[in-house]
Amino acid sequence: MEFQIYRFNPDIDQEPYIQSFTVEVERGMMLRDVLLEIKRRDESFAFRHSCGEGVCGSDGVNVNGKNQLACITPVADYTDDPVVIRPLPGRPVIRDLVVDMSDFYHQYHAVDPWLKRKDPVPEQENLQTPEQRARLDGLWECILCGCCSTSCPSFWWNPQKFLGPQALLSSWRFLADSRDQAEDERLNDLDGPYKVFRCHTIMNCVDACPKHLNPTRAIGHIRNLMLKKSV
Amino acid sequence: MSRHLSGFRAWMWQRASAIYLAGFLVYTLGYLIVAPPLDHQALKSWLGGSGMWLATALFFLALLLHAWIGVRDVILDYIGPAGLRLGILAAVFLFLLVCGLWVLSILMGVL
Repeated sequence: MEFQIYRFNPDIDQEPYIQSFTVEVERGMMLRDVLLEIKRRDESFAFRHSCGEGVCGSDGVNVNGKNQLACITPVADYTDDPVVIRPLPGRPVIRDLVVDMSDFYHQYHAVDPWLKRKDPVPEQENLQTPEQRARLDGLWECILCGCCSTSCPSFWWNPQKFLGPQALLSSWRFLADSRDQAEDERLNDLDGPYKVFRCHTIMNCVDACPKHLNPTRAIGHIRNLMLKKSV
Repeated sequence: MSRHLSGFRAWMWQRASAIYLAGFLVYTLGYLIVAPPLDHQALKSWLGGSGMWLATALFFLALLLHAWIGVRDVILDYIGPAGLRLGILAAVFLFLLVCGLWVLSILMGVL
């Protein structure tokens, strides 16, 4: 099967180019296995990967125009030659499929993704009811692979100002948490023309998320909470 | 929450104005289909009635507000350089202001 891979080494290349590789596909093969095979043939080829089972979120790539985690994407999903693999879009390319995710991590950090308490921390457990805990489902599973934010046109245009779907999903994860006590502070931090309201409900994030999470819904919850607080 | 027309407030006003625009259009189109004014005088007196005049004025106010927030959003998305952005925003604002004054002069003529 033919794979067309985006190549760019800023130390050598004037501009990026596409290189074709033909890889014999075996049953059960994932795209990460294909990338490893290409790496075996050409050691100068660079891509990120680690756990190989969709947990670390390292190997987000753009396959035939859609962001995917290479390690959990079966090659059998693609029946037509060639399969085009590019780096995650909108991010500066460091080399080949490796991109600079600094803006993405900066936005994640900006939403204070940790529990904030005003009351003293309980001596033992901080109990939740099953219903309170259930509100976090579909939120805590995010692995920060960046497939959502790098597929979002609003994040492409304003990566330093718009939080992006991943950070907003994380923000709602803490707003929705019964143990968190910084709701007003968090909502105040989210206001302004850029942080939340660059989202135009394009929903590329929902389409791209390899964990089948729904950042658009989380952003809707944030807006509804703002509305509730303002009346 | 912000006190200016940005962020949450802009988003809320855009939606509120959209609801009013949709409601007004449905009512007006429905009225024009069911009981269309038969001549210019009838149309003028329908629009000149105090309730309808106020509703129409509010419609254009909501339309201008909705357009301003929407176009400003597009400019915020796509126009990066501050000078260029300010220039385009000013041009859009002036255009909407002229439209508003034009509508106002028409509405005053109906009274």
